[in-house]
Amino acid sequence: MPTHTAYVLAMSSSATAVFYYMAAASVASAILAVSRKNPVHSMLWVLALFLHVAGIFLLLHAEFLAAVQVVVYAGAILVFYLFVLMLLDLPGEEARQRFGAHWPFAVAGGLSFAALAWLSVVVPVQTEVVPFAASDATSAGKLADVGHELFGPFALPFEIVSLILLAAIVGAVVLVRRRSAES
Amino acid sequence: MIVPMEQVLALSAVLFGIGAFGFLARRNIILMLVSVEVMLNAVNICLAGFSQHLNDPRGQVLALFVIAVAAAEAAVGLGLIIALNRHKPGAGVGDLTKLKW
Repeated sequence: MPTHTAYVLAMSSSATAVFYYMAAASVASAILAVSRKNPVHSMLWVLALFLHVAGIFLLLHAEFLAAVQVVVYAGAILVFYLFVLMLLDLPGEEARQRFGAHWPFAVAGGLSFAALAWLSVVVPVQTEVVPFAASDATSAGKLADVGHELFGPFALPFEIVSLILLAAIVGAVVLVRRRSAES
Repeated sequence: MIVPMEQVLALSAVLFGIGAFGFLARRNIILMLVSVEVMLNAVNICLAGFSQHLNDPRGQVLALFVIAVAAAEAAVGLGLIIALNRHKPGAGVGDLTKLKW
C-alpha cells in the first residue's frame, strides 16, 4: 500500500497521535454508550462521543461542522434527550435486561460493519482528486466555500430542511398534547 | 495536514457498527434512538472525510443536512416516546405488544 504509507508519512506525528486518540476515544465512548445499564450514564458517554467527533471534524478541516456538532448535537439534541429521560423517570430501567434475547444477531450485524472497516483499510481509497470548481484549495476559503454552496446550489434543500424542522416541531407538539384536553 | 481517508472510513464503519449493534440489541427505546445518533455521527465523519479528500465543500453541506434531520428525528421520536409513556409507563420495547389501544 504505497499511497497509504505516503499519506501516513505526510501527516505530522503529533497530528497523527491526536487523530488516533480521537478515534480510539470515540470508539470507546460509543461502546460504553450503547452498553451502560443506567441511561443517564449512556447519555454522558454519548456526550463524550460527540465532543470527540467534533475534534475529528476539526482535524478534517470542517471547522463549521465541528462548531455545529458542539452547539446543536452536544448542546441541543443531547440536552433534549436528557430532559426527556429525566421527565419519564424510569427507576426500573436498571433492573431490566439491557439487551434482548437476540443480541448475538445484533453483534453479527455490528461486526459486518467492522468488516467494512477492515476492507476500507486493506483496499486503499482512489487517490486521484477531482478538483472542485469553486474551491481555491486554501483552508481559509473552506468555510466561505461551504457558505456559497449552502446558499447557492443548495438553497432550495436548505429551505426544505427548515420546513422539515417546522413539521417536526408541530408533530412533536401534536404527539405530546394530552387527548383529554381536546374532547 | 491530511488525515488518510482509509483511517477515516474505518473509524466511520466501526462507529456505524457500534450504533447498529446498539439499535438492534438495546431494549430501551430512548437508548435505541441514541444508537441512531451514533450511526448518524458515523455517517457525518464519512461525509466530512470525503469532503476533505475530494476537496469539495458539498460533503460538509450534506453533513449539515444530516444534523438538521437528526434534530427533527429526535424531536418526533422523543415526542412519540412521551406519548407512549402516557399510556404505559416504561421505555421497554418488549412491553409494546399492542398495535392499538
